[in-house]
Amino acid sequence: MTDDLLGVCGLTHAYRGRPALEGVSFAVRPGEVVAVLGASGAGKSTLFRCITRLIEPDGGEVRLHGTDLLRLPRRSLGGARAEIGLIFQQFNLVRRLSARDNVLAGRLAEVPTWRVLARRFDPADEQLALACLDRVGLLAQADQRADRLSGGQQQRVAIARVLAQQSCVILADEPVASLDPAAARQVLDILRDIAREQGIVVLCSLHQVDLVDGFADRVLGLMGGALVLDVPVGAFDAAARTALYEPASKP
Amino acid sequence: MLVVVAYLVAARLAEVDLAALAAGVPRMAEWAAKAWPPSTQGLDTLLLRAAETVSMALLGTTLALVLAVPTAVLAARNLTPEPWLRMPVRWLLNVFRGTDAFVFAILFVAAVGLGPFAGVLGVGLHTWGSMAKLFAEAIEGLPAGPLEAVATTGASRLKVVSFALLPDALPGLTSVVLYFLEFNIRASTVLGIVGAGGIGQELKSSMDLLNFPRLFTILVVILALVTVVDQLSSRVRARLG
Repeated sequence: MTDDLLGVCGLTHAYRGRPALEGVSFAVRPGEVVAVLGASGAGKSTLFRCITRLIEPDGGEVRLHGTDLLRLPRRSLGGARAEIGLIFQQFNLVRRLSARDNVLAGRLAEVPTWRVLARRFDPADEQLALACLDRVGLLAQADQRADRLSGGQQQRVAIARVLAQQSCVILADEPVASLDPAAARQVLDILRDIAREQGIVVLCSLHQVDLVDGFADRVLGLMGGALVLDVPVGAFDAAARTALYEPASKP
Repeated sequence: MLVVVAYLVAARLAEVDLAALAAGVPRMAEWAAKAWPPSTQGLDTLLLRAAETVSMALLGTTLALVLAVPTAVLAARNLTPEPWLRMPVRWLLNVFRGTDAFVFAILFVAAVGLGPFAGVLGVGLHTWGSMAKLFAEAIEGLPAGPLEAVATTGASRLKVVSFALLPDALPGLTSVVLYFLEFNIRASTVLGIVGAGGIGQELKSSMDLLNFPRLFTILVVILALVTVVDQLSSRVRARLG
C-alpha cells in the first residue's frame, strides 16, 4: 500500500441528487497503466473531474503521494494540479499557437509571470519542450500551428504538454475517441511507454474495449457510478467484457 | 393589416411629403449644376481638416480601446474575476453604447470648448461601450477546453489569459478594433457640424454659405478618405484569418 502513487478512496459525487459516483476506491502504483471502462454515463468523466477537483466531490479521499487533495484549500490546489496531467478527447490545444508553444504551456506553473507575458522562456524550458516533442515523434512539427496538425498529431502534442508539465499522474479522458484506429494505437502506445519509462501513473478511459489489450496492465469497470470491476488485463475475459456493457446480464 | 397601419402612422409622424420632394429635387439638381466645376481653392485647408478627422477617429478609437480592455474582462462570463460586477458593468457599457458620439460631442464642445478634442472624447466614450461589448462576446465565444487544459497545469489566471486566451482571441479583437476605426472615421466626418472639428466643420460652413463648388470638393475628399480607409482595413482583416 505504501508504494501507491495515487489512491482513491470512497469517492462520491451526486449530480442534481442523482449519484454519479458511489464510493469508488482503488490505488495505483507508479508505472501502472489502468484502463477505465464503462458505458456512456457510467461515471468515467465524473471520476476524472473529481480527482482534479474540476468538480468538487461530495466525499472520499484522493491521495497523491499520501496527501489528500480534497482537503487542500483551493489556493494551494495549483501546485497539486501540476502533478496531474490531463489529456482530453478534444485535445484542447491553443489553436493558433505552435506545437512548441503548446508544449511550453505545460511549464507555465513554474515559469515566472514576466517570462510568460514577455514570451521569453528560459532556454532550459525551451529545450525541455523540444525534447518532449521529440519523445512523441513531432520534433519536425515544432513550429507548425496546432490547428494545422492532424488529430493524432494534436493528441501527441497534448501528451508532450503533459510530459513538459512533469506530472506523475496522467488522466486521459477518452483520448482516442475522435481518432482513426492507427492514430489511436499510436497515441496509446506512447502513453504506455512513457508510463513504463518514467514511472508515471496513467489512468485512461476508453470506450473501445479491444484497445485495452497491449495497452493497459489493469482494467477498472464502472457501472452506474459504482466500481464493479478491478482486474489485471489478463483476467478481463470475454464474459467480463459482456457483463460490463450489458446491465441485463448483471448477476 | 397591423403592418399597414404602422407604416401609415409612421409616414404621418415622419411628415412624408411627396410634393415637397418633387419641388426639392429640381432645386438640388440646380445646386449640383452650380457645383461644377468644383473649387480647388483652399484645398490645403481641406486636407488639413481631413487629417484632423482621421486623428480624431484614431485617438477616439484608441481611448475606447484602453477603456474597453479592462471592462470587457469584467463583462465576459468566462473571464470575469468578480461575477457580481458583470451585470452592472454591462449596464454601464449599454449607457455609453446607447448615447451617440454626436450627443457626447455636443456635451464635450460645451465642456472643453470647440475643436477636435471634444470629438475625440465623444467618439471615445461612445465607442467604448460598443467595443467592450463586442470584445466580451468575442471572448465568450472562445472554446473553453484549451483554457481549462492550461489552467489545470496549475498556471495562474494571468498566465492562462496571456498565453492560452490571447492568441486565439487576438484576430477577433483586432478585427473589432479595425471595424470601429473605420466606422469612426465615417462618423467623425460629420462631427464638425456640432463644432467638434475636422472636415465636418468645412462641410457646415460651405453649406451655410451655399458654396456648392466647395461643398462638392469636400464630399469628394470625404468619399476618397472613406474608400481608402475601408480598403486598407479590409485588406488587413483578410490577413488576420
